[in-house]
Amino acid sequence: MSDLTFLMGKFEARIPTDRLYSDNHLWLQPDGESGIYRVGFTAYSVRLLQDVYFLEWSIDPNSAVYKKQEIGEVESSKAVSSLFAPADGEILDFNEQLLDDPSAINTDGYGKGWLFRLKTDVQFLTPDEYMQHLDAGWEKTQSLIKGQYN
Amino acid sequence: MAKKLTVVISQSQGKNPAKQQLEESLAMSLLLDGNVEVSLVPHLYDLSADHSGLLFLRSIPGDVILLSWLYPRGARWILDRQGIRGHEGISQLASLSEDSEVDREDDHHERNGNGKPKHEQVGIVLKDLPTRKIYCLDLRDHTDPQVYLKEIQRIANESTLPIVDLVSFIQAQPRAEQIEKYLRPLDILAEQKSATPLSDDDDAPANGEVVRRRWYPVIDYSRCTNCMECIDFCLFGVYGLDTQGLILVEQQDNCKKGCPACSRVCPANAIVFPGHKTPAIAGADGEVGDMKIDLSKLFGAPSAVELAARERDVELVRDGRDAVGLEIGIPRRLKDKPVKPRDELDDLIDSLDALEL
Repeated sequence: MSDLTFLMGKFEARIPTDRLYSDNHLWLQPDGESGIYRVGFTAYSVRLLQDVYFLEWSIDPNSAVYKKQEIGEVESSKAVSSLFAPADGEILDFNEQLLDDPSAINTDGYGKGWLFRLKTDVQFLTPDEYMQHLDAGWEKTQSLIKGQYN
Repeated sequence: MAKKLTVVISQSQGKNPAKQQLEESLAMSLLLDGNVEVSLVPHLYDLSADHSGLLFLRSIPGDVILLSWLYPRGARWILDRQGIRGHEGISQLASLSEDSEVDREDDHHERNGNGKPKHEQVGIVLKDLPTRKIYCLDLRDHTDPQVYLKEIQRIANESTLPIVDLVSFIQAQPRAEQIEKYLRPLDILAEQKSATPLSDDDDAPANGEVVRRRWYPVIDYSRCTNCMECIDFCLFGVYGLDTQGLILVEQQDNCKKGCPACSRVCPANAIVFPGHKTPAIAGADGEVGDMKIDLSKLFGAPSAVELAARERDVELVRDGRDAVGLEIGIPRRLKDKPVKPRDELDDLIDSLDALEL
């Protein structure tokens, strides 16, 4: 099945259909064992961040987390943001390679740019549901950005 | 005979030598200068209402410059709550978070008169303020004492204008011994140096009175609209009303150490916790931070109210009470948020590239 596309202004954010999504704009791809996912930024996130300069985690590998728990920080050319767990579960490990050079987030966000592995039994959004979520939140996202420029 | 201007140095918490040195060199220089009264009190925020340091501050009839390790907004409203009131004196020192504004010079003439200074939010207008001025300077802004000495000199000149109620000088009561000692800062410094060097206790009394670290909210009445969301939200009996129905931090010490939750729910950002690590909560003026967009909300940051409710729950459980989550005292404004009408934002994302920040 071919990828879905969400239109951000003129930018086409690619949403692959081979994985699941969280409402805080991360993708989750089953990684071997059931209930274990590789997690990364969606094209939508990366487009808003643009070039990622710096990534830092504030928790250790194998830490239990709850949804919306602050787990780290990202800084890019356009933005800074705290990062939050997408669901209750356990974060098993982080993509060590990104800590030295986070550029894979921009060059291969759905592959080598993965962030961490999460163990959880929570249900996530299907690609279609994530598209709807993006649609519903698009205006809010724009005013979030606009509000901070004014 | 009292001098016109009193400079009060509010000492830092703890024993940071760099801070102590700045305090000391300021006290020495001002004493040698002899143009102003100089005094040294323990960290203002930690003083309980009956501490002699506050009695001393209340006994000062004229203009006051307060040098403290606090944001001026925090310092000013701590003083106000303790009954040390006056008009806000405008410092021309540039702080770290803002550039000096040229037009500030005129602002202080307008307060409580015909119109408010333009940088002021619409809050409650406090009545019956004494005509004298209170200047609050932040000692964290500069490391060079000369910067402060210069500004103090400038204020001293400004303060010779006949705007102070001279009658109160003439009628000033002789000060009691326990208060008078604050006008001998050298004795205070000497006493502190000789005081039990073995003890590593931060709370070592400066003047025989124990000063402990305290934690409580301070209301900025220039912003407060008396909306009552704080009193609805706090479940620990910190807030109350005065006889006029004005919101008041009634029981300061009922507050839970480290919890800034009410400050987060305040729609006017009028609640200051001077000891909090976030500048906006500690009373920094205006916007603090860099120019980058903060995408935390997008990536799932809990809202200020969610955070506040979580912080409150922690304190409730610690007290052996039940967590209430978002059930009680949640601001009404959050229940039905209006949806913003759509405007021309479609190519906003594309324009991001053009905005080289």
